[in-house]
Amino acid sequence: MSDFSGMEDLLQDFLIEAGDLLSGVDNKLVDLERTPRDLPLLNEIFRGFHTIKGGAGFLNATELVSLCHLTENLFDKLRNGELKVTPTMLDVILAATASVRSMFGELERGLQPSAADSSLMERLKQSVSGKLAQEPPPAAPVAPKPVAAPPQPAASSSSKGPDWDAYYQAITGTSPAKSVAVAQAEVVVAEAAPLDHEELHVSEEAAQQIITAAVGRRTTDKPGYQGPPGGRREGERQRDNSIRVDTARLDQVLNLSGEIGLTKNRLTALRSDILNGKNDTDTMHALDLAVSQLDLLVSDLQNAVMKTRMQPIGRLFQKYPRIARDLARSLGKDVEMLLEGEDTEIDKTMIEDLSDPIIHLIRNAVDHGIELPPERMSMGKPEKSTVRLEARQEGDHILIVVSDDGRGMNAERLRAKALEKGLISDEEANTMDERQSFNLIFLPGFSMASAVSDVSGRGVGMDVVRTNIQKLNGSIDIRSEQGKGTSFVISLPLTLAILPVLLVCLGDQPFAVPLSMVREILPIVPKEVQELGGHATMVVRGEVLPIVTLASLLGWPQDVVPEYGVLMQSAEQSFILAIDSFAGREDAVIKSLDDFRPKGVAGVTTLSNGQIVLILDMKELLTGLGENRVVTRAQLLLEGQALHAA
Amino acid sequence: MSDPKMKFLVVDDFSTMRRIVRNLLKELGYTNVDEAEDGVVAMQKLTSGGIDFVVTDWNMPNMTGIELLRAIRANAQLSHLPVLMITAEAKKENIVEAAQAGASGYIVKPFTAATLSEKLAKIFEKMAKT
Repeated sequence: MSDFSGMEDLLQDFLIEAGDLLSGVDNKLVDLERTPRDLPLLNEIFRGFHTIKGGAGFLNATELVSLCHLTENLFDKLRNGELKVTPTMLDVILAATASVRSMFGELERGLQPSAADSSLMERLKQSVSGKLAQEPPPAAPVAPKPVAAPPQPAASSSSKGPDWDAYYQAITGTSPAKSVAVAQAEVVVAEAAPLDHEELHVSEEAAQQIITAAVGRRTTDKPGYQGPPGGRREGERQRDNSIRVDTARLDQVLNLSGEIGLTKNRLTALRSDILNGKNDTDTMHALDLAVSQLDLLVSDLQNAVMKTRMQPIGRLFQKYPRIARDLARSLGKDVEMLLEGEDTEIDKTMIEDLSDPIIHLIRNAVDHGIELPPERMSMGKPEKSTVRLEARQEGDHILIVVSDDGRGMNAERLRAKALEKGLISDEEANTMDERQSFNLIFLPGFSMASAVSDVSGRGVGMDVVRTNIQKLNGSIDIRSEQGKGTSFVISLPLTLAILPVLLVCLGDQPFAVPLSMVREILPIVPKEVQELGGHATMVVRGEVLPIVTLASLLGWPQDVVPEYGVLMQSAEQSFILAIDSFAGREDAVIKSLDDFRPKGVAGVTTLSNGQIVLILDMKELLTGLGENRVVTRAQLLLEGQALHAA
Repeated sequence: MSDPKMKFLVVDDFSTMRRIVRNLLKELGYTNVDEAEDGVVAMQKLTSGGIDFVVTDWNMPNMTGIELLRAIRANAQLSHLPVLMITAEAKKENIVEAAQAGASGYIVKPFTAATLSEKLAKIFEKMAKT
């Protein structure tokens, strides 16, 4: 049925635009629950379905058309005041938007959407006719029994009278037969559609399904799935590869490339002058000017191009209130979700890769963070709880914060749990501060819920969240106060295309390490190096940090005593990376090594002098080498060469 | 009257739809097409002149297609312009409303280039007579 050949572009456009529209509708539906008689709101939702229907018609997506058509009819009656929004009806409507989204998913894969779940269509029809039972129907009546014989689908019901033809002909001069026939055929197809498609059974089903459906992701994309490590460009999925860019931004790019062209001409002229022996002060000054101008223009151009990849994060945020609502409802909690900073712009690739981690955090907040209403009352908190999702730019980082006003985290209990599961040792448990204890939840296999619930508590999730964030060169941190609530703070670089790096040298060879991990640089003074449990360590402001040599990480022999230590901090650990010297810092443009990717190398970059440098993936290097990376004090300081076992 | 250089204004809030209509017009040989995303923008473009034919969606925010149609008919400068309404509604009331407001034609989504061509021909025919 894949008959979109020649329409791929159109399909892409439609999916992007209609997808935005649907997210908007989803959000408005959540608002509608609060203000069920808001006429402008009803109008907007009506228009959303109407517009999607119109576009779908051109794609011959008949199932999508009939689903949107029914929903649109329902909203028509709602806005005319013929019907009133009831909670049961809202569930049906939400199920319908989820179904529309799953149809978008099918279109994305180049397939004509299969029919919506028959019970959903049935309940929509009941809603339109005002006969929807207040209780969701039991499973039985869902059976493929034809609807009470001939309730005419709305589209054709009005298409019967002779007036219609007359008026139609009056202004068009043609017979309406064609389009009406199409409309009828569509509805008939919808009714007679095979019932074995079990696409969605949202309303009474587990919240997990609601999420899957609402997000339109296949389950294979979810927790277990870990894309290629360090993957950004290579991890980019096939789907949705186009992007909408403000024309003003494109104009800026065009403008800058024009300017660069002019400067290049100037340089070409100067080159021939200089080659002809002209090297007076004026010429040199002009050359200097032209080069600095080029410098400025290129960095402006880089910024401008980067901006074309930037999208407001609101497009991602939009779908979460709906998810939070569905979840809260299924758990018997009253949660309001607040969004802030939706205008904050972020690299499009990151938007896609952030989707799942944020869902996990919201699920976590609603399921674990938020208490049940009675518990909240007894604590003197308002019954309605708040989950806040905010984004803002801070310096060259984007912060995304998911916070709740729930019960907060208990460091003591977290440690006990981790100990019980054998994830940490007694000794480790005793030395952990509060922040380290909170971070325990990121360990694979850690789950706080004593009973495995449908929503969370499977022990996957939080570790995947952190892995995914780290793949984006970001970090995640927890702030929590018992009884007051918990915040998860995700910090991300502005873009993935340019990575600020520190160039460290081993002998003459420079390597690049991400600057985001570097906290400070300190000299390695032999007499300050101490040995603790077989590790060479140094005490920095009261904190005992292990020293790891770059040589041992790379498996290179160490010939001289490292002179400097770079204090590196990642989410799970801090350590001192011992190196020989520095070559400065750069904004590296990452070139990924597509087919050939040695362990511990995130990519390569070219330095200003043309030299090619490897960008190290510290996390992979650290995990990959296990115990081999341990260096003793003697090994580090090359005391007694016999011990040196590299 | 059917001059391939005549300038169309396609009004729709859904850019995919504008693109569809633009492509269909192109198929019929009309390449001079401008776009507007709602009635308000459309009126601005119309009053600044140069438009020969309006193709508009019905359901739009800010200013709907029917409001646009009425505004065009009420404007002495623009009242002669042919206006083709495009909508997904095939309801009697809507068609009556459009006819009363002075729509030159009415076309129901989805449609093909052939249908569009047919409607345009009818409109040109009517215009030639008057």
